[in-house]
Amino acid sequence: MKEFTLDCMGEACPLPLMKTEKQMEKMEVGDVVIVQIDHSCAMKNVPEWARNQGYNVEIDEVDDGEWEVIIEKTK
Amino acid sequence: MKSLWEKIGKNEYYVAIFKNPFTYVTGAVLLAILQIALLASSGNPWGVSGTFTNWGAWIYEALGGSVDKWFYFSSEGAQNTLNNGFLNDPGTMSNLGIIFGALLATLMASQFKFKKIKALRQVVAAVLGGIIMGYGARLAFGCNIGAFFSGIISLSLSGWVFGASLLVGAFIGSKLLTKFFM
Repeated sequence: MKEFTLDCMGEACPLPLMKTEKQMEKMEVGDVVIVQIDHSCAMKNVPEWARNQGYNVEIDEVDDGEWEVIIEKTK
Repeated sequence: MKSLWEKIGKNEYYVAIFKNPFTYVTGAVLLAILQIALLASSGNPWGVSGTFTNWGAWIYEALGGSVDKWFYFSSEGAQNTLNNGFLNDPGTMSNLGIIFGALLATLMASQFKFKKIKALRQVVAAVLGGIIMGYGARLAFGCNIGAFFSGIISLSLSGWVFGASLLVGAFIGSKLLTKFFM
């Protein structure tokens, strides 16, 4: 049960999604990654992709225009 | 006063309209309706990049240059647009509408933020990308709005050719993105 942070601040689509996909491949089942984003379209496509994969997803709006997408690798 | 804003922030209609992103279908339906309104009111299909070319010409003329002899601006229509001036051009209005509308949308959602530039390569990619896009859009007589979106809805074959080329370009672009930014 490890926790990772992926800093995608200041990065435009589709980079946050591509980096998240790559990070998830490296992780074990049960691990959690916190993806930090400030690009509103990543707030849509990163959670959408993760939910389609069947992972647990939570979105936290940490500040104006800043989000943390918390993804748990469930399988 | 603060509690009022908090109450509005939690209101389900506010969240649905201003805060959460629209679905792709909602966006497509809105675009379809609004482009009809634009065509009906201005007489031209929606375009974006052609107007920027005119903005460039106006800036050049304001600095003392002249584009009268340039082939691109040699048609009567192009000369009329330039002579009517910046503020009388429907394209100028729709482009300003996009810029200020986008600002309004991000302010209404309380998501406005100055984003940090992370690396010099972001600047280089943005400038290079902008130049290639602008140059390509003029060669193709339109961008993904004027040539693709407005082309296809005018039942023009050129819109589909543009769309197929967009796919090829996006494929190459994503390979470059992986190479330089991952």
